[in-house]
Amino acid sequence: MSELFSAFLGSAFVNDIVIMAKPALFNIYFALASLPLGFPIAVGLALMKNSSSKILSGIARIYIYAFRGSPLFIQFFMFYSLLLAFNLSHWKPLGIDHIVMHPLFIGPLVLVLNTSAYVAEIFYGALRAVPHTELEAAKAMGMSRIQSFRSVVWPNMIRLAWPAYTNEMIFLFHATALVYFTLPVINEQKDLMNKAGELFERDYNVFLHFSVAGLYFLVISLFIFFLAGRVQKRLNRHLMPDVQEALTLKPNYLR
Amino acid sequence: MLETISLWLASTFSEDVAMWFDYFTNGKHLTWYASVRFTLIAAIAGAALAVLFGLIGASARRSVFPPFRWLGWGYITIVRGVPDVLIILFFPLAFEQAIEWIMAQRACTATELASGSWPPCADAQWYLSTTEYLVMACVSLGLVYGAFAANVVHGAMEAVPKAQLEAAKAYGFTRRQIFWRFHIRQMWIYALPGLSNAWMLLLKATSFLSLLQIADIVLWAERLGAPNFFARAGMVHPDWRWRYYFVLFLFYILMTILSEKFFAYLESRASRGMRLNTAPASS
Repeated sequence: MSELFSAFLGSAFVNDIVIMAKPALFNIYFALASLPLGFPIAVGLALMKNSSSKILSGIARIYIYAFRGSPLFIQFFMFYSLLLAFNLSHWKPLGIDHIVMHPLFIGPLVLVLNTSAYVAEIFYGALRAVPHTELEAAKAMGMSRIQSFRSVVWPNMIRLAWPAYTNEMIFLFHATALVYFTLPVINEQKDLMNKAGELFERDYNVFLHFSVAGLYFLVISLFIFFLAGRVQKRLNRHLMPDVQEALTLKPNYLR
Repeated sequence: MLETISLWLASTFSEDVAMWFDYFTNGKHLTWYASVRFTLIAAIAGAALAVLFGLIGASARRSVFPPFRWLGWGYITIVRGVPDVLIILFFPLAFEQAIEWIMAQRACTATELASGSWPPCADAQWYLSTTEYLVMACVSLGLVYGAFAANVVHGAMEAVPKAQLEAAKAYGFTRRQIFWRFHIRQMWIYALPGLSNAWMLLLKATSFLSLLQIADIVLWAERLGAPNFFARAGMVHPDWRWRYYFVLFLFYILMTILSEKFFAYLESRASRGMRLNTAPASS
């Protein structure tokens, strides 16, 4: 039994899992760096899209449509080459070129631009679904617009948007796989896809390396799902148990 | 013909207009425009395969035979759990290796097979051309978005009102007739919003073709935009890549607009003669 166990520990599979632990951190970094930044921008965009001002809602509409309607892959290429084109003329004289041109900066930058459009659409949908009766009740109580936003609109929006937001978090994590297909790889700063490709070029074992990379994505996605489920429970803690049951998080398949 | 237009432009407008016209119709640019065919072929063939895999996946998922059900569930879950680009890269590589392995069993000697290098001998090397990569790209796109479609179709099959099927049964239709004439027919209206969403994802995933060494619009945008310092090689210009990528950005947005119009038309067609008290769930 112990021999079998040590054979398993020494196997190429376990070896790959160990090798890919560090690359996985890069994917996690990209997701963690862009989610908290994307969230407030998305809230702002959703409020803009929902505003009565034609100009504000028009800007938000165009932004959201453009970033949801084009591939992230192209967005990466576009912003990277855009920043590169201004490198000699702008970033170098300012002495910020090593920050601006760093993949660990550009990666989250483009991911934030992309995910904020998707999340804004989710929040916009939730804003539209906030129960009218509750808004009217807030008005009848004499609440100001800010007060009713804080006590009625905001909590309802978050609660309604949470399942879709969970889905988007997982999609964003998957999107981090694209970062190093477009941005330069510096030394050992490699993500899962990169590492899998590098290991593949060494021994052509496509099944092993890509499965382990896939396993990392799968497990981390499940972990995000689990955490989001806990948050969902907390958000709905005021509801009856049977209603809570009906609202448990189910995986959604579309972005 | 292009030269005639160029001369006409030079005489009617100015040399500048003619120069830009020449630039945008040079051989490289014409190749770029023509390479849109790879994107469109991959999108349409991929979508057709995705619908096929989706129907198969959904049927497996709903099968009365448990192993089929587990297979369907596993297919949907695994594809959903990993990034699309991983499968789009993995499938062609794995398929190529599988074919090379079969070739090696015939072509290589036993010592070569045992050597552990890949491919074991030169005869077992399969050189893939653009066509083969394109076919494999279509299959991979079909596989990935087939899982998404399977989930949508599965949900839509559940959404068809039971009373409709019961009514069909009461009229004496056989099980097969009920399935094909009522269940599948009425399923589409519930599936279309989800399928439209999956199509948008597939369309955006066609930008990955360059990863499979296909000279598609993305690869040509990079080549055309790269800075050129030699007058012999055409117009001298600095790094213009972002402009070319911006054109692709607009191209994909345009494709999204057209797709939305098309699906709106399909939905209005599919809902003819149906009274839906609730709008079909859009995700």
